Amino acid sequence: MGKPLIRIENVVKQYTRDTQVLTVLDGLSLEVEEGDFVALMGPSGSGKTTLLNLVAGIDRPTSGTIHVGDAEVSSMSEGALARWRSQHVGFIFQLYNLVPVLTAFENVELPLLLTRLSKADRRRQVETALGVVGLSDRMDHYPRQLSGGQEQRVAIARAIATDPTLLVADEPTGDLDARSGEEILVLLERLNHEFGKTVVMVTHDPKAAARAHRLVHLDKGVLKEDVRAKEAAGSIGLAAAVEVSAGK
Amino acid sequence: MKLLPLVFKNLFRKKTRSLLTIGSILLPLFVICILGTMLRALDSDPSNGKGMYRLIVRHKVSITNWLPAAYDPKIRQLPGVVEVLRMNWFGGSYVDQSARNQFARFSTSDADRFLKVFDEATVVEGSEKEWVDDRSGLLVGRLLMKKYGWKLGQKVTLKGDIYPVTLELTIRAVFEAPDETGVYFHHEAIEEALPRVKGFVGWYWIKTASLEATERIPAQLDAMFENSSFPTKTETEKEFQNGWVSMLGNVKLLVTSICTIIVFVILLIAANTMAMAARERVTEIAVLRTLGFRKRQILGLVLGESLLLSLFGGVLGVALYALLFPGFREAVANSPMGGFAAGMKLFPEILAVAFAVTVFVGLVAGLAPAVRSAQRSITDGLRQVG
Repeated sequence: MGKPLIRIENVVKQYTRDTQVLTVLDGLSLEVEEGDFVALMGPSGSGKTTLLNLVAGIDRPTSGTIHVGDAEVSSMSEGALARWRSQHVGFIFQLYNLVPVLTAFENVELPLLLTRLSKADRRRQVETALGVVGLSDRMDHYPRQLSGGQEQRVAIARAIATDPTLLVADEPTGDLDARSGEEILVLLERLNHEFGKTVVMVTHDPKAAARAHRLVHLDKGVLKEDVRAKEAAGSIGLAAAVEVSAGK
Repeated sequence: MKLLPLVFKNLFRKKTRSLLTIGSILLPLFVICILGTMLRALDSDPSNGKGMYRLIVRHKVSITNWLPAAYDPKIRQLPGVVEVLRMNWFGGSYVDQSARNQFARFSTSDADRFLKVFDEATVVEGSEKEWVDDRSGLLVGRLLMKKYGWKLGQKVTLKGDIYPVTLELTIRAVFEAPDETGVYFHHEAIEEALPRVKGFVGWYWIKTASLEATERIPAQLDAMFENSSFPTKTETEKEFQNGWVSMLGNVKLLVTSICTIIVFVILLIAANTMAMAARERVTEIAVLRTLGFRKRQILGLVLGESLLLSLFGGVLGVALYALLFPGFREAVANSPMGGFAAGMKLFPEILAVAFAVTVFVGLVAGLAPAVRSAQRSITDGLRQVG
């Protein structure tokens, strides 16, 4: 077992709609090791995205604690949390969410504008990030001039520009065709293997989940299944576990 | 400052909308500058302070009532009086009664004293002596010479209305002064044709030796003629000008009210644009916050955009005003309100007010969308589609 990067202890997340209290996560506990690649699966409304948001520090639990590295993100002030996010988390969205008026270069540079890096250092880092995702020749292109797959690769470059320890991806292949989706998954695997990034990915796609080292299945806010690839290798295998988890 | 390029790019994201909004700020700002200039011109002192040493003595009842010409030596003997000038409004017409041919026509019984009392004026063509020596001589403001293309020595015919007389006058001198929209000729020219007006004048101008004299003389002089058949009212040049302005009614309140309404309309337009811009970018702002942008940075981005939008409109409006001002001033000078142009200039305080209005509109219009954008939770923002 490696050192845990994420420690989630007895987390409850509730939303109040009018007078009704909706429990999305119900006493969830989970640990994710540093350098792991975890797929979060489960039916709609099971709490996957909520869990991802809590881990990424863009939402707060109603109760329970979340540690990422040395930081207890569940108790940080909003300002401290923003600073922490900019240094430690890279976020990849289903719909890429690039700023349409900025070029690929400028989109990737966005999180670096929050650092004290010089313009030359920022340029170096952006070029490196776009090089990693294979888009060095598309730096001056605007999102509208890129394909969906290319847009998502720019979004990944933006996520890794600050060299974060944790990458969180919310259905990163959900809006892509099979080939582009495959490219993105290969890229995420590479970031995990070569660059040692811990990846937590929400997905509905069994093929995407099969790329992960670990499958965590949520249902109605509780952990239903937690399968490791090496554990599964001796029995049904992760891909099969994924299919079972996806209800196939 | 690193975020400024992003603010600029956001500003022109919807070019047509931004340009229309800039236009809708630019034009009202231009109008505010023009109205403000006119308002300020009412209070201005085109004589550059020399008017503080001038008094005007008129009949207590109205300026249309004459005063005896014989008051001259009595006024002259008052301590602090440097010079006295008897003046009269001729009115009448030049060529016809059209607006283009309206300008001030005065007669004076003391041509030789004219430039001593109005010492901000200088003769730039012809000579004072030629005008003083010629009873049918005409002293003309430079602007009128230019407007009508008159030449020195040219005959100008003025047809009277108050005085039923037609005068043929010769241009003997041209003067340069803050107000160059009048003509002056000898009162004798009227008196010769209409002997009944002899011995009367419209009003007196007094040049004083000091501010103390300017302050003291009015009460002293009015007391002197209080029980005569022709009681007087003596005022400073400024009070006299204000009297004319007050005849227009509460112009200042009217103009200020119009300007306030214009500012409010600009504010609504800019606020609407910013509200739309912020609404369209809910998800984008949530993404920025996910990347680590703080609330105050989001506030700064939206407010900065609003401020820049307003400044673009404001600066262009003021630039347009500065560019068109000489032409506007000339148009006023050539209109029946020609005398008003003397007090018009590019007042720095009007430019400052325009700039302040621009900043105010920018900040107030952007405040609500900026606060809303910064306060919205990231997860709510990410849930929005688009």
